[in-house]
Amino acid sequence: MLLSLLRQFSWRELIHHPWRNAAAVVAVMLGVALAFSVHLINASALSEFSQATRSVNGQSDLELRAVQGSFDEAVFARVANHPLVAVASPVLELSSYAVLNAAGSAPSRVALKIIGLDALVAASVSPALLPLADAGADRLALFSPGYVFLNASALAALPSASKTPFKLQSGLKLLDVTSAGRVSAGGAPLAVMDIAAAQELFDKRGQLSRIDIRFQPGASVAATRQAFIASLQLPAGITAAEPGDAADRVSNLSRAYRVNLTVLALVALFTGAFLVFSVLSLSVAKRAQQFALLAVLGLTGRQRLAVVLAESAALGGVGSVLGVALGTALAALALRLLGGDLGGGYFAGVAPPLQFSALAALTYGALGMAAAIVGGWWPARAAQKLPPAQTLKGLGAAPSAGQGHWMSLLLIAAGVLLAAAPPVFGIPLAAYASVALLLLGGITALPWLIALLYDRLSPWVAHRLLPLLAVERARRVRASAAVAVSGVVASLSLAVALTVMVASFRDSVTHWLDVVLPADLYMRTAAASTTGAGGETVFFSPDFVAAMAQVKGIERLSTLRTTALLLDASQPAVALVARDIGEPGRTLPLVGEAVALPDGHPEYVAIYVSEAMVDLYGAQLGHVFAPLATSLNPLNPLNPLNLLNLNNKTPQAGVLHARPAIESGVNLKLSRTPAPQFYVAGIWRDYARQFGAIAIDKADFERLTGDQRVNDLALWLQPDAVATDVEQAVRSAADRQAGAGGLIEFASSRQIRAVSLKIFDRSFAVTYWLQGVAIAIGLFGVAASFSAQVLSRRKEFGLLAHLGLTRRQILSLVAAEGMAWTLIGSIAGLGLGLAISLVLVHVVNPQSFHWTMDMVLPHARLLALCAAVVAAGTLTAWLAGRAAAGRDAVLAVKEDW
Amino acid sequence: MTLAIENLSKRYGSSAVFSQVSLQVAPGEFVAIVGESGVGKSTLLNCMAGLDSWDTGNVRLMGQDLGALNDDQRALLRRQHVGFVFQAFHVLPHLDVAQNVGLPLLLLGTHDDDKVNAMLDAVGLSGLGARLPQQLSGGQLQRVAIARALVHRPALLLADEPTGNLDPTTAAKVMDALVLQTRQHGASLVLVTHSEAAANRADRVVYLRAEGMV
Repeated sequence: MLLSLLRQFSWRELIHHPWRNAAAVVAVMLGVALAFSVHLINASALSEFSQATRSVNGQSDLELRAVQGSFDEAVFARVANHPLVAVASPVLELSSYAVLNAAGSAPSRVALKIIGLDALVAASVSPALLPLADAGADRLALFSPGYVFLNASALAALPSASKTPFKLQSGLKLLDVTSAGRVSAGGAPLAVMDIAAAQELFDKRGQLSRIDIRFQPGASVAATRQAFIASLQLPAGITAAEPGDAADRVSNLSRAYRVNLTVLALVALFTGAFLVFSVLSLSVAKRAQQFALLAVLGLTGRQRLAVVLAESAALGGVGSVLGVALGTALAALALRLLGGDLGGGYFAGVAPPLQFSALAALTYGALGMAAAIVGGWWPARAAQKLPPAQTLKGLGAAPSAGQGHWMSLLLIAAGVLLAAAPPVFGIPLAAYASVALLLLGGITALPWLIALLYDRLSPWVAHRLLPLLAVERARRVRASAAVAVSGVVASLSLAVALTVMVASFRDSVTHWLDVVLPADLYMRTAAASTTGAGGETVFFSPDFVAAMAQVKGIERLSTLRTTALLLDASQPAVALVARDIGEPGRTLPLVGEAVALPDGHPEYVAIYVSEAMVDLYGAQLGHVFAPLATSLNPLNPLNPLNLLNLNNKTPQAGVLHARPAIESGVNLKLSRTPAPQFYVAGIWRDYARQFGAIAIDKADFERLTGDQRVNDLALWLQPDAVATDVEQAVRSAADRQAGAGGLIEFASSRQIRAVSLKIFDRSFAVTYWLQGVAIAIGLFGVAASFSAQVLSRRKEFGLLAHLGLTRRQILSLVAAEGMAWTLIGSIAGLGLGLAISLVLVHVVNPQSFHWTMDMVLPHARLLALCAAVVAAGTLTAWLAGRAAAGRDAVLAVKEDW
Repeated sequence: MTLAIENLSKRYGSSAVFSQVSLQVAPGEFVAIVGESGVGKSTLLNCMAGLDSWDTGNVRLMGQDLGALNDDQRALLRRQHVGFVFQAFHVLPHLDVAQNVGLPLLLLGTHDDDKVNAMLDAVGLSGLGARLPQQLSGGQLQRVAIARALVHRPALLLADEPTGNLDPTTAAKVMDALVLQTRQHGASLVLVTHSEAAANRADRVVYLRAEGMV
């Protein structure tokens, strides 16, 4: 029976209003398409990225990695000779640039990862990195310092490299290399060379980045791993990583961004559900008397419910199928045009093939169906509950009495509680649930809010006809009013929340830029990653920095050294930033006050950690941060200051400082120095690094590591200096120093600030579009609801015409009702939006990205937004009412004559 | 004359609804219009109130030629001088009884609670002013409609089958109330009805046929 009813009763309605139903289908389709395409793009990029990482990292059972930069290769012998180890493959991994057209003033550079390995043992651990010599290439090129083997993306980025030699950058020096073949590893541009050659070429003698280990066949990896690691007695600065850790790092890197993007895409599906709701509400209202007649003829309430739910499922089904198809096409197009990066920068440079998943397609299709059925639920309930006799008479249901609002309060209370819950697997799932519950609680509280407001307003308008009619209708049919404006409440609250969140974020970023960009001009030679991954190979030497300080026009300069620390093998690296800190309250964007180092602890070294360090590594203000003490490479061979730590009088547990002295040929005895303890003296806000940064004073860093390399220079110009002249002078000095004037990049603080804010605005542009779409859909809901109301009230308007209301007055009445309803919707939407913005600003952002921001309320924009919604709602109602005030409607009363 | 219709004709496309209808209603006069279904009684009532157009002839209400007035002017005239009672009651479901009755006074800007309460008393609805329409019976709803139609003391009351939806006993009571109140207010009453009993209470009964009024 249901099928025949759908065929005869519902199908006619569908073809009678094809555009209206098409709008609902399109809304579901767009929601599913957007969410599914975001999923496909992210999944494809993540898979490709992970695969590339696996091919570079090899298929080891265990890997020993440097926490910071590199470690002494002396460990290798112990590892390789261990009875449990079948194969140990030493690797030196560096980030550099391939430089083309080096003779020009502006050479083009391609970021290139350099992998130095022992080809004889790498074959069984990292087959994708095994060099394959070109036909005719020197057979010994595999072991020669000047030869590299490129992967496919490197060959694509360096098309001339296979024919002519090119250069690699090390510091400000350019090293000549020749391509001798290729490797099969995928991913970003990569060059493989012999490890000894790489050590020699990049001046990394005796250093390794990691050792890939394969255990003896039959050895239980899980059981032997801990014993094996313990037996090695690894020195500080080396960490053991599981095979899955690299994939985890890649996944962790982008997970919060991917989840937030998916949630944003699901908002589109949410609005799709509202469109289905609006369309079916209108449809049910219009067919109320037909449903009533069917009820009189014997169709039960449950069957009427089933008919409308089947209609919504049909709309959702068509929308979902089209959405999955469109989403697949969008994802394929985006992967082809944009690669795998959707703006977060996590998958830049990856161009993965589309990886379609039938399970994901079914899941997102089901989500579309579910959204449509949820949207159709309330209209279906209205069809189920309509009183047949009253409806046939045109009286409709009895006005709703005041409903209990305990459920709403419970939902809101649960939302507030969930907002205080911690993240789940690093994702603010509880906070998202909190937003959903707040939204649901707020919307279900609407009838109560309407009663609260309009019951008090009613006596004030008792003697004024149009306000009386508008207010009385809103308060007497508060459930219908709530349904009509729920779309506006939902969309406006999301718009308000996003507006407040984006304004707060932008304001905080602006203030942050003010603090972190104090100088006039900045220079660097590597677009190193924010964690300093490339800073080990491409840097300024101390001599160069000293020469720059003498350049005419430069009043003073300060340096920045960024180096990557792998504190947790499953997390992305942390950035260690060494710079002049001076007065931390002025030089760092601190959250709260800095604390002074406690007296009586000469071993304490002040560090300032970013907020992510607190979340991810448990760093606490006023406490020692232990992981850094075991991670900072104390045996750095570049550390000349170790030589000065002789005859230290503190015989406590410390670090052996022998090797540099021995290498230097100085006759020294072994010394013990008090091991440095890193004391968290301040917490600062870092919008550049999501996974943590530690700032340390340059002097402390150099004293502890001996590393005097510099990655960035901040220049304060003399008052009469011209920036372009200074740039030229610096380039000339660089040419004289190292012939590297063309390898230096400049940016003024104003440029960096402008670019940063431009990137910010571009990143959040999608939220403005989303707000626009959400509000348009909310207003569509109002229009549909008002159309439905108007259709069901034709006789009422006819009566008013009989009583002497002019057409203009009837239109004014409908517009006044629109204003009364959208006004309450705006008040509720604004309040709810502010509550949701609190969750976004204070919970979702810190839990997702590990940074906080100051809440800013853009009053004028919020009021303009609400006023625009009320004006648009009033206009929408007025337009919907035009039909009601037409002659046909005026004469609707005639139907009884 | 309260109402004067001269040679009124109306067609829908090629078919005539009625032709050459003439009727005059004096102040305080009660005229019943009877006729078969489909002869245009309802349309004629609409024309009397200026709610529908006609092809030839003219309608004068309270001395004013409705054909010379625009829609708004007709609405203002109707608001002041005409009351309606319908077969299907037509009360606003979201207003209570007193608010429904007071609507014409609000429209005229002369709202007076005493007048509303007096009208409710007069039609036998004392104490029911705060009730909502859904809480009333059909007979009570029609009394609300009668009270609303007369509360602003119109010169002309147009009633269409006001007892058509009621049982005979309730219909008789409603008819009593309608006639009594109309007489007391000195209004003219034009009643469209199929009820012989109701028509017999009129001062004059006219028959509407396709070729005109008899």
